[in-house]
Amino acid sequence: MKFKFSENLARYGLVIILVLLCVVLSLASENFFTVQNLLIVARQISINGILAVGVTYVLLTGGVDLSLGSVVALSGVVAALSARQQGVIIPIFTGIFAGVLCGFINGFVVAKGRVAPFIVTLGMMTIARGFALVISGGKPVSGLNSRFISIGSGDLFGIPNPVLILLAIALLSAVILKYTGTGRHIYAVGDSELAARVCGINVVRIKLFAYTICGAFAGLAGVVLAARITTGQPNAGIAYELDAIAAAVIGGTSLSGGVGGVGGTILGALLMGLINNGLDLLNISSYYQQIIKGLIIVGAVWMDCATNKWRIFQMQK
Amino acid sequence: MANFSNAKIDRVMKIKIVLFLVVISMVCSVCIGCKKSEVELYDNKKQITIGATLLNMSSEFIVMLNNAMQEKAKESGIKLIVNDAQRNPEKQVQQVESFIAQSVDVIILNPCEVDASSPAVVKAKKAGIPIINVNSETRDEPTAFVGSRDEESGKIALEYIAKRLNGKGNIVIMQGFMGQAAQIKRDEGAKEVLKKYPEIKVLAQQTAEWDRAKAISLMENWIQSYGNKINAVFAQNDEMAMGALLALEQAKMKNSVIVVGIDAIADALKAVKDGRLDATVFQDAKAQGRTAIEIALKMIKKEQYQKETYIPFRLVTKDNIEEFK
Repeated sequence: MKFKFSENLARYGLVIILVLLCVVLSLASENFFTVQNLLIVARQISINGILAVGVTYVLLTGGVDLSLGSVVALSGVVAALSARQQGVIIPIFTGIFAGVLCGFINGFVVAKGRVAPFIVTLGMMTIARGFALVISGGKPVSGLNSRFISIGSGDLFGIPNPVLILLAIALLSAVILKYTGTGRHIYAVGDSELAARVCGINVVRIKLFAYTICGAFAGLAGVVLAARITTGQPNAGIAYELDAIAAAVIGGTSLSGGVGGVGGTILGALLMGLINNGLDLLNISSYYQQIIKGLIIVGAVWMDCATNKWRIFQMQK
Repeated sequence: MANFSNAKIDRVMKIKIVLFLVVISMVCSVCIGCKKSEVELYDNKKQITIGATLLNMSSEFIVMLNNAMQEKAKESGIKLIVNDAQRNPEKQVQQVESFIAQSVDVIILNPCEVDASSPAVVKAKKAGIPIINVNSETRDEPTAFVGSRDEESGKIALEYIAKRLNGKGNIVIMQGFMGQAAQIKRDEGAKEVLKKYPEIKVLAQQTAEWDRAKAISLMENWIQSYGNKINAVFAQNDEMAMGALLALEQAKMKNSVIVVGIDAIADALKAVKDGRLDATVFQDAKAQGRTAIEIALKMIKKEQYQKETYIPFRLVTKDNIEEFK
């Protein structure tokens, strides 16, 4: 009985933190626990969520992607430029394509060139930002068609479009990671690259896949962001990669690879979104907001680690 | 088997060739870049040269400032070398050092930071090269200053809100990146006006870090907590004002809330013209850039020049939007 309880606590440590936070915020602000506000939180986390799901693939292989924010800006600018004409499909496609291209190059250099992911993606971070500035001439690209803008502001059956997009890619990713060979190979590569190679897994192909899909999602996030802010901003997305990586790590994905998943990542993004929303609702000063955010994030991961260790300890007994 | 390995080698070779070509083309483009600036360097000896280092070329305002300076320099037949400090004061100081080494005639500095960019001013003056600060200040006094008083923009924006509200109502304030000179001064200007109108209440003030996406989220959260109590939004730049506007429009509240920004970026001007944004405050990048070059010219010709030039801010509303095209 005790064993079962501890295991549950460990598995749902983050859920418990989330529920606690919700209770505290509901007591502190009457405007927090309303359908409308929760939908707003869902919409606010959608861009970070999409990025975080993407970076989960890369983190699982033991890599990292620092270029996310810049790729968001680049694909946002690219999508915005083609959204000046009529049409929705072409801007979405070009935006995602820009992301895929960046992700593929990252993956190629990491997997084939065996260069450290930190360096490769750091390089891509400035390259993609540079291209975003070159293509846009340093100015925001505005005058987008209204159907494109509705990707960011519209809804379907009352659920905001960005949230639907996030749910779709989260479900897709959960299936890929859990139920396909490629998904299992991603975990294997992250766990031990050498062992994976010995087992006959094509490590290069797996890494290429992880970085490319991460880039594709970053491209999609760029499209959604451009639609939401109704412009393609070459300076958009600065430091978004850190929020995305933080969401994944809060959700239990290990920075050293092999451990984690999409479910946790979504919970991590939700925790960050709830903190932002709640602190604004309570009108806490900007200075204190930063301190509180940091404390909650570190606290959440610490608690998660502690419960994990405890679980392993219990299992060994 | 042999066939297989041959195919594999072929593929590896192909990839290597492609990589090689990519590297070569990168090296070439870098070389071309070098050559160009070298040519510029040698040409300079014959003519007047001004070296300028700008805060950040990916900001729309600085791009406009740069265009104005380039235009004026071209008209006057001056060689203008522009470096981008990319918000990095240390880089900015290095750029000024290299201007000194190139012995340019005048240096134009668009400081990244009040204190950290200050050594650039000291070094230039020590080397006997006049230095003009554009747009913002440094701790050490430059040879001349061209810019606008940021407090004034906050004042103009708040005066407009106060007038529209007849001196009574609830406002929210979206602040810029905390601790930056523009945020502090725009805050000061706004607070000064607020003292005159005790019946205007600040419901909340929070940073959205000059960013449109962050401003949308912040405004959404404020709508949740204050709803119809909000009468006006003062955003310390137009990006955030546009964000607040989008959130209000989505909540179908724009008709009852006044939104005012600062900077008069293209998007905001269009929104004012379309009757969506109530007002913005125009900071004259063009006049700042052109005046800086004019003063530099006067310095070189040893003519009289003004030590401090303040370009006034102007309120932009639907009534006078046509003047700002």
